[in-house]
Amino acid sequence: MNILEVSELNVAFPTRRGLVRASQNVNFSVKEGEICVLIGETGSGKSVIGQAVLHLLPQNARVSGSVRYAGEEILLISEQKFSRLRGHEISLIPQNPTGSLDPLMRCGQQVAEVLDVCGVPKEEHSSRTTSILSALSFSDPELVAASYPHELSGGMRQRLTTGIALAASPRLLVADEPTKGLDYAARKRTIEMFLNLKRRGTDSVLMITHDLELAEMIADQAGVLYSGELVEFGPAADVFSSPLHPYTKGLMAALPKNGMTPMPGMCPGLAQLPDGCYFHDRCPTPCEENHVHPLMHEVCGRQVRCSRC
Amino acid sequence: MQPLLSAECLSKNYGHGDIFRDVSFTVDAGETIGLFGMSGSGKSTLGRCLIGLERLSDGRVLFEGAEVSKLSERRLRELRPAMQMLFQHPEMSMDPRMRLCDSVAEPLAYHEGRERSDVFSDLLPLIAAVGLRPDQFSCYPNQLSGGEIQRAMMVKIYSLSPKLIIADEPTSMLDMSVQAQILGLMKNLQKKNNTACVFISHDPQVMLAMCDRIGVLGEKTFRVMNAGEFAGYAADLSV
Repeated sequence: MNILEVSELNVAFPTRRGLVRASQNVNFSVKEGEICVLIGETGSGKSVIGQAVLHLLPQNARVSGSVRYAGEEILLISEQKFSRLRGHEISLIPQNPTGSLDPLMRCGQQVAEVLDVCGVPKEEHSSRTTSILSALSFSDPELVAASYPHELSGGMRQRLTTGIALAASPRLLVADEPTKGLDYAARKRTIEMFLNLKRRGTDSVLMITHDLELAEMIADQAGVLYSGELVEFGPAADVFSSPLHPYTKGLMAALPKNGMTPMPGMCPGLAQLPDGCYFHDRCPTPCEENHVHPLMHEVCGRQVRCSRC
Repeated sequence: MQPLLSAECLSKNYGHGDIFRDVSFTVDAGETIGLFGMSGSGKSTLGRCLIGLERLSDGRVLFEGAEVSKLSERRLRELRPAMQMLFQHPEMSMDPRMRLCDSVAEPLAYHEGRERSDVFSDLLPLIAAVGLRPDQFSCYPNQLSGGEIQRAMMVKIYSLSPKLIIADEPTSMLDMSVQAQILGLMKNLQKKNNTACVFISHDPQVMLAMCDRIGVLGEKTFRVMNAGEFAGYAADLSV
C-alpha cells in the first residue's frame, strides 16, 4: 500500500526576477515500510517537496497538485487538520540539527516533549526517552538525556533529532539532508542508523539528500531531480547500477570513487528555464531538435524524462 | 633537493591540552599532501599554523629553507603571495560589500602596486580557465552560487602564482558534480603551475583522488601514509 502519493505537484515562488518554479509536475509514491530517496543538487527543488508534504512552505508559495497520505488528500487541507498529522503520523528530521534543537533545554526533555504531546503518561517519559536514545546507539543514553545540545557533537545532535522525530512512532518520516555537514565517522553512524531502520522494515521514509552514497546504501526507490523536475525514478538498485538519464549518469561519474569526471556547465536558473529539455546544454548526447519538453515515460521498469532513452 | 615546505615536530595547544603533537612532514614542489582527520582532530588548525595564521606552541615550519616564524615582517610580506589558503566557506571568504572584480584583483594590485582595473584585464585568461564569464565579476558574492564563488576564489589565489596552496575542505559545502568540477580545475591549475598543495579533508575518497601522500591526524598521533596504505586504512573506516 502507498503511504504517500505525490501527483502533479507544482510549487512556485513569485520573485522580482519572475516566477521561480521550484518544483514542477512531480509524481512519485512511497510504499509502506519503504525508503524512498530524492536526490538532487542545490536548487533542484528537493527540499521544497519535503516542505510541501509537511505544510512547511513559506506563505508566498504557489502550490498545486495533490499529496495523499494513506489515501487521504493532505496538500490543501487546513492547518488545523494537518497539525493532527504533523509530529504524530508524519515527522521531520530537519536539515540543520544544531539550529533545530532548543539550546536551553536538556536533550531528554526535548524528546519527552513529543511524548507529552502524544499523551504518554509523565512517569513513563524518562524510561521511554532512554529506550529511544539507546535504540539510536547512544552508548550512555542517560548522560545524553541530561546534557544540553551544545555538549553533543554534530553527529550526536543529528541522532538526537532523529530520536525526537521517532518518539511519536510516526508512520512516515521525512529526512532532509541527514548527513549534511557531518564528518566521516558521524556520517557512518547516521548511515548505520538508517540501515537499522530499514532492517526493522516498519518505518516508511522519504529522504531528501545530495549524498549519493548514502542513497545508494539505504534506498529502495530513488528519484533524481534536476531543475525542479524528476528526471528518473525507479528501484534504487537499478537507478544506481545502470542509470538511464544522462544527468544521473553524470552524477554517478562525478563521484570520487568513479573517477570524479565533471559534468560541463551549470543548472539553468529556476526563473529562466528553457522551453525544451532543461539538460540540453549540458547533455553529452543532445537531441538535434529541442523544441518539445521531454515527458516522463517508462523504460526498463522505471520512469525516465529523456527522449533518447 | 630541498623540499618546498618542511614541518618539523609541530605542536599546538590552547592551554587545556594538545590539539596536535609531533607533526612532521615535507612537501615537494608540485606535490599534493593530504591532511585527514575527523571533526575536531586539529587539521584546520594545523593548516592555519602552516601558513602562519596561528602561532605554533612548538616546532618550526620551513618554507624554501627559511623558518617562517623567524622572518622579518618585510620578508614575510614578500613571501605571502607564494603561500595561499583556500577556505571551506567560499561565501565567507569574499567581502560581501565588494564586487567580485575588485575582490579578485585586490591581492595582485596590492603586491604589485597597480590599479585594480588594470590587474583585472590580466586575469581574463585565468577567468576563462576556471569556466566563468568576465561579466559575472560585476556581481556581489551573494548573487552567485557556492561553486561560482569558489571558482572566483581560485582566480584570486592563482593570480599570485603561489608555490603552495593550503586548501581547507574547499568542496565540503558543494554538490557532488560541482565538487568534481572544482577539484578537476585545481588539479589542472596545479599541474600547469607546478604548485604544491596541502589538501585538508575528512572525505577519504576525495583524499585518494587528490593526494600523493596522506597525513592522518588521529588522537594526538600523526602518521603519513602513501595512497595504497591509506586506501586500506579508509576501507576499515567505511560502513
